[in-house]
Amino acid sequence: MHSSNRSGEDILAMINPIIAISPDSPLNDVAEEFFKPEYAKLLSLPVVEDGRPVGMISRYRFMDIYLKRYARELYGKRPIRQFINKRPLLVDLDQTLASAAQYVAENMQFPLTEDFIVVRHGQYLGVGFVMDLLKAMEQQMRANTGELEKAYSQLKSSQLALVQSEKMASLGQMVAGVAHEINTPLGYVQNNVAIGQELFSQIQTMIAGYESLVDNLLDEKASEEQITEQMQMVAAMRNDVNAQEMLGEMNGLMADSLYGIGQISELVLNLKNFSRMDAAATDMMNLNDCIESALNIGRNVLKNKVEIIRELGDLPRITCAPSQLNQVFLNLFTNAAQAMEAQGRLHIKSWHADGDIHVSVADNGKGIPEDILTRIFDPFFTTKPVGEGTGLGLAITHQIIQQHGGEIRVESRVGEGTHFHIRLPVVAARAAQVAMLEAVAK
Amino acid sequence: MSKPTLLLIDDEERILRSLRMLFFAGYHVRITTDPHEAIRILRDEKIHVIVSDQRMPVMQGSELLRIARETSPATMRILLTGYSDLDASIASVNDGEVFRYLMKPWNVEEVKSVVAEAAAIAEASFAVQSHTDIAVGMASARPRVLIMDHDETTAKIVHETLSDRCDIVWASDAQHAMEELAKQDISVVVSDLMLGETNVGYILKTIKQLNPQTQCIVVTTFNDTSRLIELINQAQITRFLPKPVSKGILARNLESMLERFKMVRNQPVLQKRQAVAPISDPQEQVQAGKFMGMLGRLRARIGV
Repeated sequence: MHSSNRSGEDILAMINPIIAISPDSPLNDVAEEFFKPEYAKLLSLPVVEDGRPVGMISRYRFMDIYLKRYARELYGKRPIRQFINKRPLLVDLDQTLASAAQYVAENMQFPLTEDFIVVRHGQYLGVGFVMDLLKAMEQQMRANTGELEKAYSQLKSSQLALVQSEKMASLGQMVAGVAHEINTPLGYVQNNVAIGQELFSQIQTMIAGYESLVDNLLDEKASEEQITEQMQMVAAMRNDVNAQEMLGEMNGLMADSLYGIGQISELVLNLKNFSRMDAAATDMMNLNDCIESALNIGRNVLKNKVEIIRELGDLPRITCAPSQLNQVFLNLFTNAAQAMEAQGRLHIKSWHADGDIHVSVADNGKGIPEDILTRIFDPFFTTKPVGEGTGLGLAITHQIIQQHGGEIRVESRVGEGTHFHIRLPVVAARAAQVAMLEAVAK
Repeated sequence: MSKPTLLLIDDEERILRSLRMLFFAGYHVRITTDPHEAIRILRDEKIHVIVSDQRMPVMQGSELLRIARETSPATMRILLTGYSDLDASIASVNDGEVFRYLMKPWNVEEVKSVVAEAAAIAEASFAVQSHTDIAVGMASARPRVLIMDHDETTAKIVHETLSDRCDIVWASDAQHAMEELAKQDISVVVSDLMLGETNVGYILKTIKQLNPQTQCIVVTTFNDTSRLIELINQAQITRFLPKPVSKGILARNLESMLERFKMVRNQPVLQKRQAVAPISDPQEQVQAGKFMGMLGRLRARIGV
C-alpha cells in the first residue's frame, strides 16, 4: 500500500505543460487559441497572472457566449478576465492521489467542462485531465485491494498458525503430563518383570537340582555318596532361596503388574478419548463426558492440589465438536489450578434449562483484578511470564464457544476466586453449526 | 556386618512393594506411603539410604529430604521420580541435597548399584559420626574461589562477600578456567552453565571427579531440566540459583558453601558423600578426557 503515500509523483505524471493565457487577452484571441493542435485535447485553458492561476476558461463557456447574437462583435475585444471561472479546480503537486481525486470528485461540475490546474506553493505548473486522475485512482484502488487481500490472507494464516501453536502447546503440556503419569506404573511393572525373570531362573536351577536328585534316587546304579551330595546341594539351595515365600510375594507383584498395565491402558485411552483422533469431528455428545475427559487428562495438574466438587446434572446430548469442547474445559480447569497458590477447590456444575446447557466452573484461587478482567478473552493477553503462555488460551475458548452458538462469561473477585459460566444452546443455530463445521475443517 | 537399612517412600504402594522385593535380599527394607511416618522412622532408626518419590499429596519429596538432612545427616538421600519438572529438580539440589536424582521407570541395575554405593557411604558416615569431629580447625591454605561467569554482577557479589577471606579468580573463558584449575585446587566454583559460547558442564563434572572437596554453585538463566539432573548426578553441584540472583541469596550460599568446603576438606568421608556418577554424554566424555590430559600436563609443568 505504498502508492498512496507516494505524494508528488502521482500528480507530476499527470501534468500537461500548457502555456497559460493572460487575463488581459481579448476573448476573440483566446477563442483562436482553442484551435491550436496542442490544445486539441483540452476542455479548458488556464488563465494565469504573475505565475498564479486566476481562473479557467472552457470551450463550453465559449459556446455559451458565442451562441448570443453578435457576441463576437460585442465582447470580442473584452479581456478574458471578465468571462473566466474564478474558482477553477486546483490540485497541489504534493497532494496524494487519493486526496486530489477526492477533491476533484467533490468539486467538479456536471457536465464536465473543465480540466484541473496543478500548482506548487500557489505557482502554476500545468493542466491535468480529470479522467486521467480518476483512472489513476481506480488503478491504485485496484492495487490496494490486491494488497489488502494479500495482507488479509497473511494475517489469517498467521492467526491460524498461532491458534495451531497454542493447540500444540496445550497438547504438548497434556501429553507430557500423561507421559509422566505413565512413568509410575511403567516403573513398577518393569521392575516386577525384571524381578520375575531373576526369580524364574533361580527356580529353574532349583527344579533342575530336584530333578537330578529324583533321577539319582530312581537310578539303582547311583551311589550313596552321590545321593547325599545331591541332597546337600538341594538343601543349600532351599536355604538360599525361600521359594515358597518368594513365589507368594511374586504372585502379589504379578497382580500389581496387571493393575499397572491396566492403568497405562486407561491413560492411553484417556488420551485417545480426549484428542478424539479416531472419531468424527462433530458428534452428539453429553457435555458431562467432555468434562470428565478433561478432568482425566488434567489429573496430573489437578491431583494433590485441587479438591474437585462435581455437580453434574442430567444433560441432553448436543451436536458439538467434542475435541474442541474438551480443550475448553481442560483450559478452564488448568487455569483454575494455576490460580491457586496452595490447596484449592474447583466446583464444576452442569444443568439443563430452557433449551440451554449451562456449565459453571468456579475456583477459589487468587482471582482476577477488575482492570484486567475485561481483557482476559483478548488474543495475546497474558499475565504469565514470557514463554509460559501464548495468551491465546481463553481467546480460543471464547471462539470455540461462539462457534457453538453459545456464550462464556466471567466473574471474579481478587482473593476469593473466579467463576466462568458457559451457556450452550441444545439446538445450535444453523449459522453456528456451519461455523462449527468450518472451524473443525481447519 | 549387618544388612544396611533402606527407607522407601512413595504414594503408590505398588512402587514400594516392587522395590522392596528388589532389595529384600541385601537390605532391611522399610516402606511407607506417609512422609510423616518416614520422618518418624528417620528419627528413631538408623537408616542408611532414603529413596523418596517427589510428588506426594502430603509433602514434596525434596521437602522430605530437606527434613531428612537435619534429622539424620548421615543418611544418603535419593530422589526417584516420574516427573522431570524444573522446580522439583532445583529443590532437590538446594533443599534436598540429593545424592542422585533418578527417573521412573528406572534401570534395575543402575538403581541397585546407586543404592549399594550410597549404603556403603552412609555406613562410613555413621562410623565417623559416632566419633567426635576429629579434624576440625586444621590449619590450611587460604581458600580459592573460581568465578566462571561473564556476568559482572556475579563477580561483584563474590568479591564483596569473600575477598577478605579468599583468593578470587575470575576466569574469562574456558581455557583460562582450566588453567586456574590446573594451578591449584579450588575451594568453591561459582559458574554459569554457559561461558560465552562454551557449555562448561563438562568442566564442572571433571572438577568434581578430580577434586571431590570443591563445592560448586551454579548461577544461570539456563533452565533445561535434563541438563540440571545430569549436573546433580555427575557433578554433584550443591546449589542451583536461577538468574537474576539477589545479592543476599548468593552471599548466603557463598558463605555456606565455604563452610561446607572446610568441613569436607577435613573429613574424607564427607567427600565420598558427594561422589559423582560417570559422565553419560559421549561428547562430554571426550571433552572431559581432553581436559584431564591438559590438566595432567599443566600440573606436571607447574610442579603441583
